[in-house]
Amino acid sequence: MKKSQLAGYLFASPWVITFLVFWLFPLLFSLYLGFTDYKLLKPTYNWVGLNNFVALFSDSEFLDSLKNTFIFVIGTIPFTTVIALVFALLLNKNFPGRTLFRSAYFMPSITSMVVIALIFTNLYSRGGYLYMLADMIGLSPPENGFLLSNKTALFSVMAMDIWMSVGYYMLLFLAGLKSIPEELYEAAEVAGAGAFRKFFSITLPLLKPVTLFIIVINTIKSFQVFVEIFVMTKGRYDSATAVYFIYETGLSRFEFGYASAAAYILFLIIAVFSFAQFGLLKQRGMR
Amino acid sequence: MRILKYTILVLILIVMIFPLLWMFRVSLMPGASGLGFGDFVSPAITVLIYYDIFSSGNMLKYFINSSIVGVAVTGGNILFCFMVGYALSRYRFIGRNLWFYSVIFVLMIPVHIMIIPLYLLIYKLGLYDTYAALILPFLVNPIGIFLIKQYIDTLPSSMEEAARIDGAGEFRVLFRIVMPLCKPALAVLAIQVFLTNWNSFLFPFILTSSESVRTLPVGLALYQGHQAIDWPHLMAGSSLAVIPVLVIFLLFQRHIISGITAGAIKQ
Repeated sequence: MKKSQLAGYLFASPWVITFLVFWLFPLLFSLYLGFTDYKLLKPTYNWVGLNNFVALFSDSEFLDSLKNTFIFVIGTIPFTTVIALVFALLLNKNFPGRTLFRSAYFMPSITSMVVIALIFTNLYSRGGYLYMLADMIGLSPPENGFLLSNKTALFSVMAMDIWMSVGYYMLLFLAGLKSIPEELYEAAEVAGAGAFRKFFSITLPLLKPVTLFIIVINTIKSFQVFVEIFVMTKGRYDSATAVYFIYETGLSRFEFGYASAAAYILFLIIAVFSFAQFGLLKQRGMR
Repeated sequence: MRILKYTILVLILIVMIFPLLWMFRVSLMPGASGLGFGDFVSPAITVLIYYDIFSSGNMLKYFINSSIVGVAVTGGNILFCFMVGYALSRYRFIGRNLWFYSVIFVLMIPVHIMIIPLYLLIYKLGLYDTYAALILPFLVNPIGIFLIKQYIDTLPSSMEEAARIDGAGEFRVLFRIVMPLCKPALAVLAIQVFLTNWNSFLFPFILTSSESVRTLPVGLALYQGHQAIDWPHLMAGSSLAVIPVLVIFLLFQRHIISGITAGAIKQ
């Protein structure tokens, strides 16, 4: 028994150390920093109470970054979810070439975000293929390209993000579809239900758990959008998101205290959303 | 009806793979200037740019750095996630539940919160801008532990007990008896960890500053900083980042997909 205790601890120790040093300590330390005026090149720092938080809520740069983050989340998730579901429905039944299509649709979502963002930087720029395409169908794109305009920069990044991530959520929907028993459809057919009836009475309700799961993980991920903004716009043209703001104040202007406070505000927003959505999951008795 | 379905599927296919085809095409462009449609379909191809990035500049260095970090982190995760997952599944030591909850807790933490404190911690530890900064914090991950623990929970423990009765020590049981049984789960884990690490940008970006330890995604993202972007070179470097992923994907597609869907169904 004693030996087993020792071995248990020994084997668990890599996590115990990693958790304490690289997760718990930084997490608490940055919470503390959020209440200080810690900056680089300042020999001492002081406890400033809620000052950072108060200042953040009147800092238009921060508020804009929050606004952009919400636009990003609300503007991408419905499209990503619906398109992913459509792709999954198209590929649900077995037919020749199914695996090829599935792999191709999924491919962008395991490719490096940096690479995808670089490719689209070119495609969106003046003279790039997407620019020319928009021009050809008469959309009159902004003069200097999609990423260099206040009106289109953020939306262009969002469109790319939808394109990139639908394949991943398609796979989750496909797994969800697979778990629906075939007998339900057979019974519905016997009762004379058509394709639409089957979709709305069987498929959609039974996909609810996986759909909610997709929305939850996509929300949490989308609130933290950073890489594509960094590569494509550097936060210019009204496209800076909350994490971009945290990066810039923290690691470019080195205002560690202020940036930590901003990070905790975003943390709380994400926490509220994930709790609310998990609550929803439980309430519907789907867990 | 059937023709219509295939037409739709092929159109989507084109939309989904065109950007990557474009990347490969541009990386093989003979002239750095022309990126018009004519150039895209023209048969003129050169691998000179690849020769160029392998013989000069930093792309090759970034590629090697990414490989070193990727292999080290993947190796660490195979070993440590396995050990920890086993401990949490089989041993009844004091605080076991607490450590299991800590895994779930970290699983739910949004990583953006770590940007500032991890940067400061790595700096204070004197690890800033070293390989260690890119490896040490990532040697074991909560998703991996969770995956392995769930897997070991489903295995019968009779073989381990039999081995103990035969006098085998704990290490022997762990590595000789249990580890071979966990091969399928460890394969899924290894592939996921490697791909995630290979593509990761945020932490390698904030924890390093010099070209000598920079990984490929960071090198590519900062390459843009030069005045006029040399697209053929940049896309050749991007291809270096994509080709290993493509190869792994083609070889281990089943593992990748089962890893992704297992996570979703569990929820």
